[in-house]
Amino acid sequence: MVSASVRHVTLVRELQHLLGDDRVLADPLRTYVYGKDGGIKRGDVAVVTLPENAGEVIEIVRIAARHGIPVVPRGAGTGLAGGAVPTRPSLVVSLTRMTQIEVDAESRSAWVGAGVLNLDLSRHTARYGLHFAPDPSSQAACTIGGNVANNSGGPHCLAEGSTVNHVLAVELITATGEMVVLGGDAPDPIGLDLRGIVVGSEGTLGIVTRALVKLTPNPPAVRTLLAAYDRVEDAAATVSEVIAGGIVPAALEMMDRPMTAAVERFVRAGFPTTAAAVLLAEVTGHPAAVEAEAELVRAFAESNHSTEIRVAADEAERALLWKGRKAAFGAVAQTAPDYYLHDTVVPRTKLVEVMAKISQIAERNNLVVMNVFHAGDGNLHPLMAFDASEEGVLDRVRAAADELARVCVAAGGALSGEHGIGLEKRDLMPLAFSEADLDAQARLIEAFDPGGLFNPDKVLPAGSRCFDIGRPVPEGTWI
Amino acid sequence: MTSVKSALQRRLAAFLSDPIEGVADEAVVVAPPTLDEAAAVLSVASEHSLPVLVWGGGTHQGMGGRVAPAIVLSTARLDSIVDWQPEDLTVVVEAGVRVADLEDLLAGRSQTAVLPEVPGDGTVGGAVAAGISGFRRLRYGPTRDRMLEVEVVTGDGRLVRGGGRVVKNVTGYDLPRLATGSFGSLGLIGRVCLKLWPLPAAARTVTLPEARPDYGYRPLAVVEEPDRVLVFLAGTPAEVEARTAELGGGHEEGLRWPGAPAGSIRLSLRVAPRLLPDALEQIPASWSYQALPGVGEARIGAADFDPVSFSEVRRWAESHGGALVLIEAPGHVHESFDPWGTPPAGMDLQRRVVARFDPDRIVNPGRLPGGL
Repeated sequence: MVSASVRHVTLVRELQHLLGDDRVLADPLRTYVYGKDGGIKRGDVAVVTLPENAGEVIEIVRIAARHGIPVVPRGAGTGLAGGAVPTRPSLVVSLTRMTQIEVDAESRSAWVGAGVLNLDLSRHTARYGLHFAPDPSSQAACTIGGNVANNSGGPHCLAEGSTVNHVLAVELITATGEMVVLGGDAPDPIGLDLRGIVVGSEGTLGIVTRALVKLTPNPPAVRTLLAAYDRVEDAAATVSEVIAGGIVPAALEMMDRPMTAAVERFVRAGFPTTAAAVLLAEVTGHPAAVEAEAELVRAFAESNHSTEIRVAADEAERALLWKGRKAAFGAVAQTAPDYYLHDTVVPRTKLVEVMAKISQIAERNNLVVMNVFHAGDGNLHPLMAFDASEEGVLDRVRAAADELARVCVAAGGALSGEHGIGLEKRDLMPLAFSEADLDAQARLIEAFDPGGLFNPDKVLPAGSRCFDIGRPVPEGTWI
Repeated sequence: MTSVKSALQRRLAAFLSDPIEGVADEAVVVAPPTLDEAAAVLSVASEHSLPVLVWGGGTHQGMGGRVAPAIVLSTARLDSIVDWQPEDLTVVVEAGVRVADLEDLLAGRSQTAVLPEVPGDGTVGGAVAAGISGFRRLRYGPTRDRMLEVEVVTGDGRLVRGGGRVVKNVTGYDLPRLATGSFGSLGLIGRVCLKLWPLPAAARTVTLPEARPDYGYRPLAVVEEPDRVLVFLAGTPAEVEARTAELGGGHEEGLRWPGAPAGSIRLSLRVAPRLLPDALEQIPASWSYQALPGVGEARIGAADFDPVSFSEVRRWAESHGGALVLIEAPGHVHESFDPWGTPPAGMDLQRRVVARFDPDRIVNPGRLPGGL
């Protein structure tokens, strides 16, 4: 019988032989940071590898399979749902060194290494007048590989859709340590669209080493408006009327008073801190279109009693408004030492109703709740600020988070709009899906990774694969 | 076969429907009115390993490998608009709803599902199963980008739902996208929720004499034909007016979508958008085409089957990462020219996925590339 520590030493040696000593981290002091993502759970790291190319990833996967140790792929660790947190002693594959970009400007696409930062990609393609449309608030830090794993969104997904709409192909390392390219740069690749389920699979189906992404032309004209309101309901009504009124703006974001105040203290973007709600709307496109659409948005804001409407005068003012929006989560640190950021979706028509319920839930649990969210697509981000050193507060936060998820699903919504399920919401999945639905998803994992090598225990609750499901035929219906 | 047919007719008596013209006479045609009943049909078929052909409007039955069915599962009675939320820009429909009927309904509130513009009798379920998109994909992306939720009756008769009825959702695995273009390999696509777009206030069709490298910032659609180019503009009246002036050329109000290219054989040539002009140089002069710049597709019509030129164009496309796919062709073409060409990478994964939805491989068997 070989002891666990001897097995660990053998594993580390094999990996060092492949990658060299400096790209294998086994010292607990150095692996500590890989045990966590942006959420609140911590996991168990056995060893961290830092591959520089797909060939190395293939070898790492083969070594891991031989040793029977789970593999957890990792980008920048900005995820909030625990997707990158190893639940058992795992081999973490950090993909941050895979940073190649090959642009095909004429086809408006690019092969992008999993470790490329989201914002770096758009900076790189700016010379061609192109950008990568998904723009999560963490875009300065998060990686394309992470975006693919989580099917990330961002404010500008309102008009352009989430990451899955912008991924044409993925280069996947499978559980058997083989490389397969799913999809391609020609439209409608033939056969089943496996790329579609790899995107958003949170690292459970394999390791995506590169993605072929669609690039979007930079709009020739942009108008960014800020509208302030005395009542949250009026801001939400503006959102509904804009959407129902035939405009899908590039972005339609909302912040409530506590959040606006926090952001203003942090960034000084000139947000009106006395308003109950602030709406940030952006319209893009042909110059003749943005004028007219900006006017329409303004009209909807006015008819819904907006107390102040401001149009960004220039690029600098626009950038400042967006900086305020995207710095929201950083700003919270000045309010309380810890926060729990929720991510749910409701039909846009239910925004007001659900927001009222959220503040009741927070009140009942004696928690401070702040809201900043993608109002245009009904994607809520209630944020509960707290001090973890306060006794029992984490239980209250979790209770409130669960209740909130239930309220959103009951309103016809979804458990997550862009952050993913990971560990955080895994056990809530039965709220959204039947036993047969979860079983079908478990079968998908089984098709890709029968041994459960990749990122085990994520997305689906234990026992999702029900071997007794099949043929639920009502007796006598056809005899 | 006759005894199997009469046994099936007895067993599926409740759902029997009229024969469909031109479809395997020996098959039993059923049209279940609910997904539960469709599940019952597939359970029977699965139990006896009987091949099932799913039939919507019949407009894309020419795609993929031919199926010799014992049962034709028609979606004709799965024809309800289940839930339309105009304020939320979503609609839930059953598979058998005709694309034309849905778009007519939605247009009443100035909305569109951006489904194919010249659908004929095509159904929503058929468009999703065949993964086809309209000309407007240039501006709004392909059909898969609007698939929010799907309910599938698996080959072994389970009712499985994926996605949700909201416009942004990462809850679980993306079954709606997997189902798009799956040609029945997972089972019957029974019900879908689609994301809608508002119909812009103004629309125009501009005709230009020849192709250009650029048609302005994200037009609605562009169709290049051998002797003319159609540019479709939509937006605010001021925008459409300004863009018409920028383009020059003649114009008509409204969107004048062209019909399919002439010829009894229809093909889809697919390459990276950058390669589309090169691809058009590979095709014989006798073929008519509609090229979609920015998309990378040329829709082709050919009058006669010439194995040499068909194979040459396919070889060129495949060697450049593309494909030449049969859309519609007489039987003899199908027999000598594979409808898909070389199967894609990852066929083993595809087989394993399909096996988990349709273990007996009874729904549209052999329809996908590689005989899957």
